[in-house]
Amino acid sequence: MNKIGRLNVFAFILATLLLLSACGSNTGGNGGNAAADASPGSASPAQGGSSGEASAGDKVKISFIHWRGEDAEAFDSIIQKFEQEHPNIQVETQVFPSEQYQTVAQAKLSDGSVGDVFASFPGAQFEALAKAGLYTDLSGESFLANFTDTLIEAGQKDGKQLAIPYQLVYNIPIYNADIFERYGLTPPKDWDGFLAMAEKLKSEGLIPIAFPGADIGPGQFMNPMVMNNAPDPDIFVKLEAGEAKLTDEWWVKTLSQFKELNDKGYFQPNALGTKDQGAGALFVQEKAAILATGSYQLAQNKKSNPNLKQKLLAPITVPADQAVYEGIHTTTFMLGVNAKSKHPEEAKAFIEFLSRKDIAGEYANATGQNVTVKDVEYSTEELKTVAEWTTKKTRFQPRFTIKNGEVQKAVTNSIQAVLGGQSPEDAAKEAQAIVDQQLGK
Amino acid sequence: MKPGKKLLLFFLPGIALYLALFVYPTLTGIYYSFTDWDGLSPSYRYVGLDNYAGLTEHIVFRKAVGNNLKFMLAVVIAQTAVSLVLALQLARGGKGAAALRALYFVPTILSSVSVGFIWTFLYDPSLGAINGLLNAAGLSHWTQNWLGNVRFAIFAVAAAQAWAHIGQMVILFVAGLQAIPSELVEAAKLDGGNRWQVFARVTWPLLAPAAALVVSYTTIQSFKAFDLVFTMTNGGPAYSTEILSTFIYSAAFANYTFGLASAASVFFLALVSLITFLQFRVLRADRVSY
Repeated sequence: MNKIGRLNVFAFILATLLLLSACGSNTGGNGGNAAADASPGSASPAQGGSSGEASAGDKVKISFIHWRGEDAEAFDSIIQKFEQEHPNIQVETQVFPSEQYQTVAQAKLSDGSVGDVFASFPGAQFEALAKAGLYTDLSGESFLANFTDTLIEAGQKDGKQLAIPYQLVYNIPIYNADIFERYGLTPPKDWDGFLAMAEKLKSEGLIPIAFPGADIGPGQFMNPMVMNNAPDPDIFVKLEAGEAKLTDEWWVKTLSQFKELNDKGYFQPNALGTKDQGAGALFVQEKAAILATGSYQLAQNKKSNPNLKQKLLAPITVPADQAVYEGIHTTTFMLGVNAKSKHPEEAKAFIEFLSRKDIAGEYANATGQNVTVKDVEYSTEELKTVAEWTTKKTRFQPRFTIKNGEVQKAVTNSIQAVLGGQSPEDAAKEAQAIVDQQLGK
Repeated sequence: MKPGKKLLLFFLPGIALYLALFVYPTLTGIYYSFTDWDGLSPSYRYVGLDNYAGLTEHIVFRKAVGNNLKFMLAVVIAQTAVSLVLALQLARGGKGAAALRALYFVPTILSSVSVGFIWTFLYDPSLGAINGLLNAAGLSHWTQNWLGNVRFAIFAVAAAQAWAHIGQMVILFVAGLQAIPSELVEAAKLDGGNRWQVFARVTWPLLAPAAALVVSYTTIQSFKAFDLVFTMTNGGPAYSTEILSTFIYSAAFANYTFGLASAASVFFLALVSLITFLQFRVLRADRVSY
């Protein structure tokens, strides 16, 4: 090879070095930002900058970071009120699209440059941030009394209240109440009833269930599908401890029931190629009677079709007398105070403000999201519908009890594998092999 | 100071930036590949070659390598062949050549995320234009659940990747074609060579440097196709489009195994370097002389 040829090869090798640098860029533990450009832009771009340092004059500037661009307006109004009440504190908000939140934002938390108050997801992210010691212990803070005790458990670890889940979501399908009424249907009490309901809807020319199988569907719908097949709330904890297996009856049965719904045409055709927006469109256009996502989508659906009358139902996958749970809830958008914050008291003051029932109510009614704060008055029909579920026997989202991201992906991918044609047994076996490998680490 | 040394000073800012922004992070990445750092914790342990040993057995990593090789082959073949045909057509000149060159280049200026959204919509099994056109043409039996089929999804994404970058490759081939002395082609024609013979015996051998560049660049692009895959399928369904870059992303930012992700990145570097080296050897890009 001549000199130019060798130079060319060398140049290409150097170019590939750039790829490596995506994982190697490190400023105080920062993990790089390979995905920063990959955001689909679902949320507004990061706004402003914040140091968390005291600014000019006597004002203390605190940084609040989260991923919910759609809530920015509601938070702006709330922050304005907070700043009026606390003229010495200025809150600067940065909203990262959710993928950037996974990469850039959480790395920035670790050097304390942003996020005096920050939001996090339950499950793997909460565990990683807790392990890194990034949460201030909020145990004993008086404002905890403003929250429903059982709904903030997801933010507890080792007996400490590290984060406070602010939003309350029910991860169970939404149904079109008018369509159900038209065909004399009511939410079924058992699996046979669920199949009969789906058959009736299909025979009327409707898509019984709009299922976004390409993205969020498996991770959402698996929760109510598995809740009574494996009523043990620690089933996935046991899976990660090697005490339960995906090849056991509870998961193979769940996969078989997914397959049954797909094979009988109760999902829309090509469900595995349908994304969240596509499935949502089928429901909003009233082509589908059920949308297999969760209560967080109620407000958006209503915005798209103001005539929709929506309610929630969960598939009961066992005979009625064996059903332990009626549905699934998740408490998320977990607010924490950065352990590296230079202004923890001001940060706590902000969370205290958010925990007041009138402020939480303002947030809920403006965003269409239910909250974990007690005695909040909801104004919309959708929020009231969801609030009814607080009295039902629901279970915390099983998927979020999986701490290992690879295990979580193996579980949801086994659903996709079944919908792609693999047998439930084989899909469970392949997923269990990945789980075993993770356990062996 | 001698003028030559003064000139060297002009290189310093660039070299400093390169060292700070690429070489240092790269070396840091290699360092982390020998640790169990989770990407967040202030401390970590040195684990030697454990991450590399773990990769060899890692089921998802192996799937990602296999998928990436499939993806690379599909993209390299499609992108090289189509761009060569288009470049040969453009090199003939004629009316509209400039307009066509601009048209071919348009997808290149789109962001990968935009390309991902466009193609996701085109591939939509119910509303997408591709199945719509097939239905309209009476070819309903060819319609597919393009991104939802575990067998087709990787090739469907590869087609989008090729479409997005063909314009760039056309430019490289056109430049290569324009560098070929016209008298050589004319001499071959005078000797009675037909179109195919002229292409096979004269044009293609002399185009080897450009072809090597196209193939190598396409190979690297196909390994770097993170944003397109992430937007279109996020590695699914059922790992069928999981490639190395999405695996690295998941390992680092979703599973908090930064050490493992760094080891996968080092493997990535070695694999791309090896493939690029072999491509240059096979295409003998350095042996062209006029």
